[in-house]
Amino acid sequence: MSAFIRTADDLERLGAAGAATLYPATLKILIGSASCGLAAGAREVEAAALDAVKEFKLDATVSRTGCIGFCQQEPLVDFVCPDGPRVSFGNVTPAKMRQLLSHFAQKGTLPAEMALCRFDSEENVPAGQTHRYPPSANGLSKVPVWTSLDFYRQQQRVILRNCGSIDPMSIGEAVARGAYRGALRALTQMKPEQVIAEVLASGLRGRGGAGFPTGRKWDFARQRDSAVKYMVCNADEGDPGAFMDRSVMESDPHAVLEGLLIGAYAIGARHAFIYVRSEYPLAVATMQHAIEQAQTHGLLGENIFGSDFSLKVEVRKGAGAFVCGEETSLIASIESRSGEPRSRPPYPATQGLWGQPTVINNVKTLSSVGPILARGAAWYAGHGAEGNRGTTVFSLVGAVKNTGLVEVPLGIPLREMVQRIGGGASGKRPIKGVQTGGPSGGCIPASLFDVNVDYEKLAAVGSMMGSGGMIVIDTGTCMVDLARFFLTFTTEESCGKCAPCREGTQQMLRILTRICAGQAQSDDVDTLTQLAVTVKAASLCGLGSTAPNPVLTALRYFRDEFDAHVRDHKCPSGVCRNLTTFVIDAHACIGCGRCKKVCAVDAISGEAKSPHGIDSKTCTRCGACRSVCPVEAVVPA
Amino acid sequence: MIADKRSPLPAASSERAMPCGSVLVCGAGIAGIQASLDLSAAGFHVYLVEQSPTIGGAMARLDKTFPTGDCATCTISPKLVACMRDLNIDVLTMADVVKLDGEAGHFQAQVQVRPRSVDADKCTGCGDCIEHCPVRNVPQAVEPFQPSMPADAAQTALLDASLARHGAEASALIPILQDINEECGYLPRTALEALAAKLSCPLAEILRVASFYNAFSLKPVGRHIVEVCLGTACFVRGSGMLLERLTDELGIAVGGTDKDKRFTLRTVRCIGCCALAPAMRIDGVTFGKMKLDQVANILERFE
Repeated sequence: MSAFIRTADDLERLGAAGAATLYPATLKILIGSASCGLAAGAREVEAAALDAVKEFKLDATVSRTGCIGFCQQEPLVDFVCPDGPRVSFGNVTPAKMRQLLSHFAQKGTLPAEMALCRFDSEENVPAGQTHRYPPSANGLSKVPVWTSLDFYRQQQRVILRNCGSIDPMSIGEAVARGAYRGALRALTQMKPEQVIAEVLASGLRGRGGAGFPTGRKWDFARQRDSAVKYMVCNADEGDPGAFMDRSVMESDPHAVLEGLLIGAYAIGARHAFIYVRSEYPLAVATMQHAIEQAQTHGLLGENIFGSDFSLKVEVRKGAGAFVCGEETSLIASIESRSGEPRSRPPYPATQGLWGQPTVINNVKTLSSVGPILARGAAWYAGHGAEGNRGTTVFSLVGAVKNTGLVEVPLGIPLREMVQRIGGGASGKRPIKGVQTGGPSGGCIPASLFDVNVDYEKLAAVGSMMGSGGMIVIDTGTCMVDLARFFLTFTTEESCGKCAPCREGTQQMLRILTRICAGQAQSDDVDTLTQLAVTVKAASLCGLGSTAPNPVLTALRYFRDEFDAHVRDHKCPSGVCRNLTTFVIDAHACIGCGRCKKVCAVDAISGEAKSPHGIDSKTCTRCGACRSVCPVEAVVPA
Repeated sequence: MIADKRSPLPAASSERAMPCGSVLVCGAGIAGIQASLDLSAAGFHVYLVEQSPTIGGAMARLDKTFPTGDCATCTISPKLVACMRDLNIDVLTMADVVKLDGEAGHFQAQVQVRPRSVDADKCTGCGDCIEHCPVRNVPQAVEPFQPSMPADAAQTALLDASLARHGAEASALIPILQDINEECGYLPRTALEALAAKLSCPLAEILRVASFYNAFSLKPVGRHIVEVCLGTACFVRGSGMLLERLTDELGIAVGGTDKDKRFTLRTVRCIGCCALAPAMRIDGVTFGKMKLDQVANILERFE
């Protein structure tokens, strides 16, 4: 059992082995192979890389990594040059891959003009050390440093520390970047109470959305006098538009395991579960592989680090129910019952899985725990603002130029997120708001973009932090239709246990559908408001009590759009079919003919390279022409 | 009271419309009770015949009713009382209809009432005799569940392997269902019935879990599964139109399977590829940044 890690020296040795593959002496081709990379074609790029390496007889290794977060640029490929920095290339196709490697084979360097950015150094966050690459040679100094890109500049990466840098299937590379250092300190040098005190002092709050102090939750469970306790990682990232938990699990699974290990030690649990959505097959496979690796190295299992503490970790796959992200439903689902919530208290920390004290933490919360224990509470509390310590991850998507995962300290103004990091609107249409918190949150209008992003400030404007989804909305999205979309979601996902949520959301949906169809009655908006307030106040669990938020914020900030639908029978965004007519702007149209091809009812006519026109009698207002138009010439009249 | 209800009718009505005679209702469950009350209110005399010693049937034993979750007792209790008090309704419990003669409009029924051995006029319904009855208090074993059709060999092997891996306990139900769903594409009824027998778990309980979660299908599926992401990011980038194009192209509605069993169309709540919106997934392969004019080409790749 020599592979078992018991001391700091053992961990050091495993890390050294990992460092050899992490920073090899030869050329290393690192392919971003998380779900988003794969969807963009990473496997084909990898095959092209392997072929080219053989063809040009290069001394190179092709390796997979997770997701660095700049999804807009997927498939992303990094080259670690033997005598230079690490260089990133975006939107790599198999042909581009071959071209890059052929360039390298001939000139011994990479084409600087095609590169996205370069990394001169990489930080080992838990150890507080920096790995420096050899200074840029061969013209690569022309490539911008990654931190000079707007997308990365304001990021402080703690949760995403290793994402997109290490091979998620290699425990050695994770350890080389500081994994399990925090667990080693906690289990060998600290008492559980001290661990809790450290986490409490760091100011870490639950990153699942509610923001409850993690240390206090652990303390409640610790104080329960019970022989059996459970630790659960909530990875049921149901919030549509948020995918950071998936990314962390696919890119740095050991960060999650280390958090579970420390948490379980602190509360005295010997059994832990990771509840992952079934929609994330790669995350499930990566976590499972990481658990097996940790077990073979004795980092999970019996007598971890030679102590008398043991922990068994199991992955439980969800089965496609949004409500199971709610902790009492999640418990029901792990127990193999239908995922219906129950009223709290008792909270799971006192009575959870199979009636035993259970701590349920989000993926991001757990990933933050390792570095906190490794570097101390004061270091972590140095990030963020008073009351909102640390960093969190947002998924910035929708109508912005740069989409992807962004880790920033709490308290950053929303405008910075959208305009600076996101790079502003992706098309011609101006941005009108940001939807945060998914179906439980609300839409913050552009006029309020100076609000600071933290738990309290977002709640004050009627939205919520939620799990960190940020969907930027431009004027092409109808707010009434968006509210209807969220209500469709919550109506379908409502478990049906309590009447306010089951019946109320359906009635609200009915009214919204009526408004979108142009059949609104004069008192519909008032009834809608009344219903929303009632459902919010009277529902049993978080799903119901937050379901009206999208409607309430839409009514609060975009009332004019509701009025336009009800009073003027017009949809200003050109989304609601009965209230829209499309025309083609003859000045903007380039006559490419894509709209004509995509039209299902042949309502579009026009010669190539001359402006097209729409026959409004045949047009069904499906909007297909608008979606394919490369110059946004199709506009609502 | 009967006389009141037969009070003079409006002149326009013919004599045939006048309620006359009496009606026999078989079975005093909620349906029989409600029918009797309605008939009585319409002016008919009712004989309500019930086989068991009490009226109320199955509903009296329920906690809540589907789908509204209303309290069952709250619904039925007032009707039980009304039924017993109604002078127009004769309740015959422990009774069987042994003979029925005649034709529509003029039946003659023969009802046999079994001995109750309790004087109904004197009984106060205290229930002491029930408590002291040595026969009634013998626990009755639940009959083991018998599948209506045996599962085939492949399903049995799959079940056995899954039960061995996850343990033959009710707490392993979801992982077992996931195994079956993954292997067969859906949850075949025969496999669920066999599972109910093996876990000694009521089939209704298994169906409750199976129908609660979106990941499970109770209907057979096509060779390829097309899933359109309806997450928010995909929605604002036009996944609604993508879905519409797919339903047109495939000629099936969401949740449906085409005639050749080639495609099944589903929607999914966010597959986490939000930066590549709008996205769809076929057999687990994700297609991002979908344009409507690409749909036909992509579908062609799947035979």
